[in-house]
Amino acid sequence: MKSFRKYISKYLASFVGLVLILLAINIIAFGWTFYGVVTKDYGDFSPQNMLDTTAASAALDGISEESSAQLRRSHIWAVYLDMAGNIAWEIDMPDEIPEHFTIQDVALFAKGYLADYPVFIRNTADGMLILGYPKGSYMKLQSNYFSLRAIETMPFFVMGIFVADLAILFLAYSFSKRKILKNTEPIITSIEELGSGKPTALSIQGELSGVANSVNKAAYILNRQNQARANWISGVSHDIRTPLSMIMGYSKLIADEGSLNVDVRKKAGIISQQSVKIRELVQDLNLVSQLEYEMQPIHKATIRIASLVRTYVADLLNGGLPDQYSIDIEISANAEITTFECDARLISRAINNLVQNSIQHNPDGCDIMLSLDCTEDSVILYVADNGIGLSAEKLKELRERPHYIESTDDRLDLRHGLGHILVQQIVKAHNGTMQIESENQKGFKVMLIFPR
Amino acid sequence: MDHTYLHSKKILLVDDEPELLKMLQTFLTEEGFENIVSAVTMKGGLDAARSESPDLAILDVMLPDGDGFSLMQQIRTFSEMPIIFLTAKDEAADKLAGLGLGADDYVAKPFLPQELLLRIYAVMRRCYKEENTLIILDGCTVDLSRAEVNKDDEVISLTAKEHIFLETLARNEGKIVTVDALCEALWGDNPFGYENSLNAHVRRIREKIETDPSKPVSLITIKGLGYKLNTRK
Repeated sequence: MKSFRKYISKYLASFVGLVLILLAINIIAFGWTFYGVVTKDYGDFSPQNMLDTTAASAALDGISEESSAQLRRSHIWAVYLDMAGNIAWEIDMPDEIPEHFTIQDVALFAKGYLADYPVFIRNTADGMLILGYPKGSYMKLQSNYFSLRAIETMPFFVMGIFVADLAILFLAYSFSKRKILKNTEPIITSIEELGSGKPTALSIQGELSGVANSVNKAAYILNRQNQARANWISGVSHDIRTPLSMIMGYSKLIADEGSLNVDVRKKAGIISQQSVKIRELVQDLNLVSQLEYEMQPIHKATIRIASLVRTYVADLLNGGLPDQYSIDIEISANAEITTFECDARLISRAINNLVQNSIQHNPDGCDIMLSLDCTEDSVILYVADNGIGLSAEKLKELRERPHYIESTDDRLDLRHGLGHILVQQIVKAHNGTMQIESENQKGFKVMLIFPR
Repeated sequence: MDHTYLHSKKILLVDDEPELLKMLQTFLTEEGFENIVSAVTMKGGLDAARSESPDLAILDVMLPDGDGFSLMQQIRTFSEMPIIFLTAKDEAADKLAGLGLGADDYVAKPFLPQELLLRIYAVMRRCYKEENTLIILDGCTVDLSRAEVNKDDEVISLTAKEHIFLETLARNEGKIVTVDALCEALWGDNPFGYENSLNAHVRRIREKIETDPSKPVSLITIKGLGYKLNTRK
């Protein structure tokens, strides 16, 4: 979800950048095109400059040759009026211009046109210079008055509107961003859940419902495959049980049959022992797959954890622990009065797997220690032995290498055996953590920590 | 405690696998059980339960014409015989463990013969008490039916709690019984903080049954776990 938010923020930043770039392009385009027109029409031949240069060389009695030539080149006609309104001299004056001007005439054309010619005037010491530009070359504003207040406040209005526009734009943007986030959040959460292999169901209306349907479809297919795999494993493990019961039963009967040859009985004993191992494996496999695909309902109940640990050890000893092994139990005073909400069968199973692990890895025997401690917020269970332990290398492998059932890697050196992974899953199902400590020849110690 | 007195009890086996039935019959016979009847269907099982009136039924959960649970319900309409279930499914085991369906115990397949025997004896002993319950210990005998200890021609009587305590241990002779199981037998569920009272009972029982109460040989403490009763056959 975070990445998506970041993506949107980045998008916003690039939007701001785009606005700035647009402004720069505007300025350049303006300079490129309009500037040419401006320099030409407001350059040397502009009314302002023409009036300046012409007025400087003009008087009641005429104008310099140079100025008149320049006027002709620019197709501008000129008239000089005396104080009485009569023409003192003229250059290329069109025919429709009258010979005499009254005060009213002057007042009218002074701010506008004279027979449709845009005209510009300049008062001199002894008269008035009129320059007439070709028809249609300039436009004059005839009502060019504005209130001073309007002129003064204009920039603020323009800026204000511009800022308001920007604000509206960003508001709209951030609103749509929030809406997109709100609409996409469940989709992204679902995809994340899907990624971690959990079943998910998404319900969205509107434009994104198509996406939601696709996610749901993918989740359904994934879920069905997981279900099929778990069912397959559970089916196989079910079908194997009755034949295995017979193998276990008859091999044990042969092993205990006193009338038979000792050698035969020994062999039957081995079959019996090995079939017990197959049973453990089948049960582990089924439980691992049920937990992995979350098919196994967890039956949590509040139990006295100390009692569970004691019962386990008593059952183990009553079932007969070979002489080379010993098991000790240590329960702190705190743990003695602690109740813990858990699936008792699974916790017992985890303890058993750890203890059986110690037994299997130390065929020459070892002392096993089971300790239980409780703090304010956790239940801590240790299973330790003083056996051969693991080398640093093997320990690293155990911690880091994926188990073969979790990996598609078909190299042969992947770890086997389900005991360890089952413990991990049981711990996970109780939101706990698992820590392993071991050193070569210095025993193996597992610590399970469960939140209370 | 001797359990040969249970060998005359009649056991009904119901499982859809004839091979498995045959094996069960074989090892139950070898164990000494004399009366065994069997059926491969729910209907056959029900008929046998009616006509043979067995003392214990061992039922498979999955039967060709129904399931063991409904067979039990039908048996319960006319008999209170103890019932042990056999199941090949962990889910069914969960169901049996989690819900009180009225079954006395269950055994998950596959099982070792002695695992099933252990359950059979435990259930039967609970339902059919032996008339003459004499425990022979080192230096004394305990008569549970009279709640008495006979030591050196002296008769010492047991209190009710001491009686339950010894009976619980005797039922599991030679095996460890946890303090939790003992507390539960003596005081019922959730016996928080009863360990001290338990120690007091142990002290008094040792004075009654041990030759030297400070060096017990019959009622043994298993450190951190519970107690064990050593008997002499």
